[in-house]
Amino acid sequence: VATGQRPIELIHARNLITGLSTPAFLVDEDGVVVFYNDAAGMILGRRFEESGHMAPDEWGTAFEPVDRDGKPVPVEELPLSIALRQARPVYSRLRIRSLDGQEHEIHVSAIPILTMEGLRGALALFWSADEGGA
Amino acid sequence: VRVKIWGARGSVPSPGPETNRYGGNTSCVEVELSDGTILVLDAGTGIRSLGVALGGERTRINILLTHLHLDHIQGLMFFAPLFRPTSEIVIWGPEAPDASLQDRIARYISAPLSPVEVRELPCQLSFRDSPHTEWQIGPATLRSASVTHRGPTLGYRITEGDTSLCYIPDHEPAIGTDLLRDDPDWISGFELARGATLLFHDCQYSDTEYPTHIGWGHSRLSDTLAFAHRVEAEHVMLFHHDPMHSDDFLDVFHGAAVERWTALGGRASQIELATERRELDAAANRAA
Repeated sequence: VATGQRPIELIHARNLITGLSTPAFLVDEDGVVVFYNDAAGMILGRRFEESGHMAPDEWGTAFEPVDRDGKPVPVEELPLSIALRQARPVYSRLRIRSLDGQEHEIHVSAIPILTMEGLRGALALFWSADEGGA
Repeated sequence: VRVKIWGARGSVPSPGPETNRYGGNTSCVEVELSDGTILVLDAGTGIRSLGVALGGERTRINILLTHLHLDHIQGLMFFAPLFRPTSEIVIWGPEAPDASLQDRIARYISAPLSPVEVRELPCQLSFRDSPHTEWQIGPATLRSASVTHRGPTLGYRITEGDTSLCYIPDHEPAIGTDLLRDDPDWISGFELARGATLLFHDCQYSDTEYPTHIGWGHSRLSDTLAFAHRVEAEHVMLFHHDPMHSDDFLDVFHGAAVERWTALGGRASQIELATERRELDAAANRAA
């Protein structure tokens, strides 16, 4: 249901990542996943059109993120959550389980989307460390 | 709501015999509300003639700038009311992170580009960032929203009674977006233009010209019509004509626009190409 135009910066971010082969994940200022691209869908195991919007608690646990020692990472410690809460870029390396059951090790960089009107959301770019990545 | 177009051209003034009918002045539209309040949409070169036409009788004028590209502010320096001590002029525009609206406009109205400085203008002049919430001027409710163009750019919606005019002269909503299928809240300008009685919208390029101008911040014909159709505008004024488009070209362009619009299910009378000095009642073409 349309509730009004999204912030133009989120529209631009979505437009950008739609055309990228770099997996990318976009959340609004409340941490709700409002879009991820097809490249991200391949790692996460489901296209955005199938999964739809996800609240932080939902996406923060759906992929069962753990650190390199296998310790679960709580949702508030995930890069996107920190980028939103502290309005700063964050990098992390995680293991996740995709929605189709595959395990992946990923690098994640999250950046806040700051505007004249304040924080509008955050964008996470990630890539698989499974394919010979560093 | 009475509307008069003083400039419909985009990018750069293009006077000459080949553009006489549609006009060569850049963006400027006068809106007169029911109580006589004057709103001026953009200050392209068309605003010079508007200033002459207003004479000295109109002293309170609101100028609403969509953005500060030169084709939208170039006429400011030649707007006669700015040089009258009796004028009270408010210039509204988009905020930007680097400098205030006044300071950004002063980059144009200052040496070496101008012989006068903003502080030398004798009128009572103020600058205001267009609010992010609705505001009132006279009997009209105004709304602005950031839209897809290069740099901070706004569209405006002016509503008086059951009549609404939406003005988005520089806009490329289709970039990265499927105008026919994406959710409305992901379409730049959608909420601003939804159900507008009269929609002024960027239509700078033909479909064959657009591929070499993607990302320049302007729309091709098919995207403009898709946007107008999707927002269910009642009357569409195709605006911001490319300076290379002659009157003859625009006549043919209009024919193509009508053909495509009717194919989308619209009425031919709903589509019009903006023409300098065209005057209309915003609700004149409302369907019965």
